[in-house]
Amino acid sequence: MNKTKIIIKREYLSRVRKKSFVVMTILGPLMICALLVVPVLLQQTGESRSEIIVVDATAERLDDKSVAIFKNKFKSDDAVHYTYSDDIEAAQKILKDNSCDAVLEIVSTSDNPPIKSFLYYGENEPGLKVQEQTKNQILNILRNSILQYDYGMNEKQIEWINNPTIDFYTKNILTGESSFNEIKTILGAVGGFLIYMFIFIFGSMVMKGVSEEKTNRIVEVLVSSVKPVQLLMGKLIAIALVGLTQFAMWVVLTVGIISFVQAASPELFAPAEQEQITVNERVITVDKLNSVESSEANELMQGLMAINYPLVIGMFLFFFIAGYFLYASLFGAIGSLIDIDTDGQQFTLPVTIPMIIAIVSLPMVMENPSGSAAFWLSVIPFTSPVAMMVRIPFGVPVWQLAISVGLMIVTIVLCVAIAAKIYKTAILMYGKKITYNEIWKWLRYKNA
Amino acid sequence: MSILETIEVSKRYSNHLALDKVSMKVEQGEVFGLLGPNGAGKTTLIRMINQITAPDSGKILFFDHPIRESDTTNIGYMPEERGLYKKMKVSEQAMYLAELKGLEPKEAKRKLEYWFEKFEITSWWDKKLEELSKGMAQKIQFITTILHEPKLLIFDEPFSGFDPVNAELLKQEILSLRNNGATIIFSTHNMASVEEICDRIVLINKAKNILEGRVEQIKQSFCENIFEIITPKTEMLNLSREYEIIEQQTTDRNSIFKIKIPQGKNAELISEVMKQTDLLSYREVLPSMNEIFIKTVKSNE
Repeated sequence: MNKTKIIIKREYLSRVRKKSFVVMTILGPLMICALLVVPVLLQQTGESRSEIIVVDATAERLDDKSVAIFKNKFKSDDAVHYTYSDDIEAAQKILKDNSCDAVLEIVSTSDNPPIKSFLYYGENEPGLKVQEQTKNQILNILRNSILQYDYGMNEKQIEWINNPTIDFYTKNILTGESSFNEIKTILGAVGGFLIYMFIFIFGSMVMKGVSEEKTNRIVEVLVSSVKPVQLLMGKLIAIALVGLTQFAMWVVLTVGIISFVQAASPELFAPAEQEQITVNERVITVDKLNSVESSEANELMQGLMAINYPLVIGMFLFFFIAGYFLYASLFGAIGSLIDIDTDGQQFTLPVTIPMIIAIVSLPMVMENPSGSAAFWLSVIPFTSPVAMMVRIPFGVPVWQLAISVGLMIVTIVLCVAIAAKIYKTAILMYGKKITYNEIWKWLRYKNA
Repeated sequence: MSILETIEVSKRYSNHLALDKVSMKVEQGEVFGLLGPNGAGKTTLIRMINQITAPDSGKILFFDHPIRESDTTNIGYMPEERGLYKKMKVSEQAMYLAELKGLEPKEAKRKLEYWFEKFEITSWWDKKLEELSKGMAQKIQFITTILHEPKLLIFDEPFSGFDPVNAELLKQEILSLRNNGATIIFSTHNMASVEEICDRIVLINKAKNILEGRVEQIKQSFCENIFEIITPKTEMLNLSREYEIIEQQTTDRNSIFKIKIPQGKNAELISEVMKQTDLLSYREVLPSMNEIFIKTVKSNE
C-alpha cells in the first residue's frame, strides 16, 4: 500500500506540475465563457443596418376611399431601417447611386393573391434575415389592415391576436416545486458532456502513461520493485485525482465568477415571488415567473436554484469517478498492448464505441428523459455515466438509480480485474504482435 | 549460506517451456555468471528472482527462506531492456526508484549525492533525462540500481550501450561492489567479460541447466591436453606418432605449435623437441569460455 502511495504521488505531481495542466485549469472556465459570449458579440456587431426604401403602389389601383396600406407601417429596428417614397423611378435611382441597400415595391393586382412585392437590390443582395423580416412585416401589415377595416377591430384586439399569451405553469404535485425543464435539460446535457469529455481526456492520459512506460522500458525496473497491479492502480488513482483537481479548480473559479456577477447585479438572484391564483375557489401557489418584473436571466437563476444539488452533484461525482475507472482501466490495458511498432488502434475502437453511442443518443435522452431508450442507456454501465447524468435533473426513480449504480460497480470490478490481467502480461512483451486470441489466452491463465 | 537457490524451477508459457526444472545455487559474495544463448530462459529466470513472474512449480530460496515480496528491497536489478522517464529530472526519478525500493527520502538523497559526486556528475542533478546522452543515461541507470545497497545485484547485459572507457569503469564498480560484500548475478553473451569477472557460472540452454561450476574448474574439465610450444623458427618438428600437431604458425622469428599429447607425456615431448631445436615456451592451452559455451550448447542439441 505504501508503494502504491509513492506511485500515486509521482504520477499525480508530474501531471499537475505540467504547464498544460495549469493553463487548462485557468483557461478552461474562461474559454467556456468566451465560447458563450463571443458568438453573441459577433452577432451584435457583425451586421450593418440595411436601408430599404418602400414604394407602396397599392393605393393607385384601389378606389378613392382607400389609403395606402403599407406606407409608414413598417417597423425599423437594428437590422433594417425603412423609409418611404411614392416614386419608384426616383427610388431606383437612389439605389443605383448606392445610397440605399434595396427598394421594395408593393403593388396590388387582380390576380390571386392580389398583393405582389418586388425587392430590388444593388451591389449586395440583402441577407436572408432581412428578406424574411421584410416579408413577414408585409404579411403582418396586410393582416392587421384586414382585421382593422374588414372586421372593425381596434388596436388592442389586433395586438392580442398577434401575440396571444397565457401563463403556463408546471408543478410537481408531490413536492410542490415548479419545474424548469429547459434548465434541467441544459444542466443534464452539460453534466453528461462533461463526463464524456473527462473520461476521454483522462482515459487517454492513462493509456499514454502506460504505453510510455512500456516503450521507454522503465517498466521492467519498476515491476522489480512493485507489483504490476500496484503500478496500474497507482496510475489510475493518480490520474483520477488529477481530473478531480482540475474539476474542483473549475468549480472554484466558476463559483468565483458567479459570486462576482451576484455582487454586481443582485437582482438576478432575488428569490422568486409566490403568486396565489384563485381558480374556481381553489388557491394555487406558483412561483411568479412570466410577470413583467422577472427578467429572463432571473428565470435562469431561479431554475438553477430549484435543482436538487446534493443529488445532482453526488451522482455527478459518482458517475464521473465510476465512468473514469471503467474506461480508464480498459484504456490502461490498451496502453500496455502498444509497442513502438504497434499502435493500439484496433483495440481502442471497441472501447470507444459505447461512449460514442452514449454521446450520439444524448439528444434522444434529453427529449424524453423517462423513455425506454433513456432507461436502458442509463442502466447499461458503458453508457450510463453520460445518459444518467442527463436524466438526473428531471428526477429518476430510486430503483433505477440503484440498478444503474449497482451494475456500474460490478462492471468496474470486472473491468479492472481484466485490465490488470492483460496489463501484467502485456507490459513485459516486446516486438510481438498481440492478437485478440492471445489476450483471450492470458485471461484464462490462472497465475500469469 | 547461499544467498539464492532455485530448486527445480519450471515455467511454461502458452506454447513453449521457458524453464525446465532448473536448479542452481548462488553463493554469497561471488560474481555469478548466468549464461546461455538467446531464448534459453535466462530472462524468465531473472524475472522470477525479481518476483515479476512466479514459477509454475519449484522453489526459489533467498537466504534459505522462500523468496517473498519484502525481499525486493534487498535486490537490485538492471534489465537489458532498460530506460527511465525522459521528461523527469534525473534526481527526481532516482529518488522515486529508491523510494520504491524502500529507502527513506532523506537517506535516498544523501546516497544519491554521494554517487553523483563519485561519478563527477553533480551538474546533471536538475537536468531532464532527455537532455543527457545515452551513455550518461546508462550511468544514471546504474546508480539507481545500486543506490539502495542491495545484497543481491542482477545485471542483464550491463555493458551493452557503454563505450569501452565507461564499460571499464562499470566493471571496476561491479567488482568493488562485490569486494564490499554484495553478490552479483551477471547475465551476458560477452564471454571475455565472463572470464574476467565471474567466479562461477551456470549455462542454461533450452530451458535446462546444462553446466554449472567455478570458472577455473570448468575450464580444467574442458581441457584436452593441448600444449603450446614456441621454438625459434623451424620448418617442422619430427615427432613420434602419439603426438598430434593441431596447428602450426610461423612468424619472422619463431614457430608456434599446438600439440595434443597423451596424458603424462610432457617430459617425453619436451625431450623430443629439444633434440631438434631450442624451446622458448611451453604451456597448457585451456579452452576459452567462448569455446566451452559453443561446444556445450552444440553438443546439447
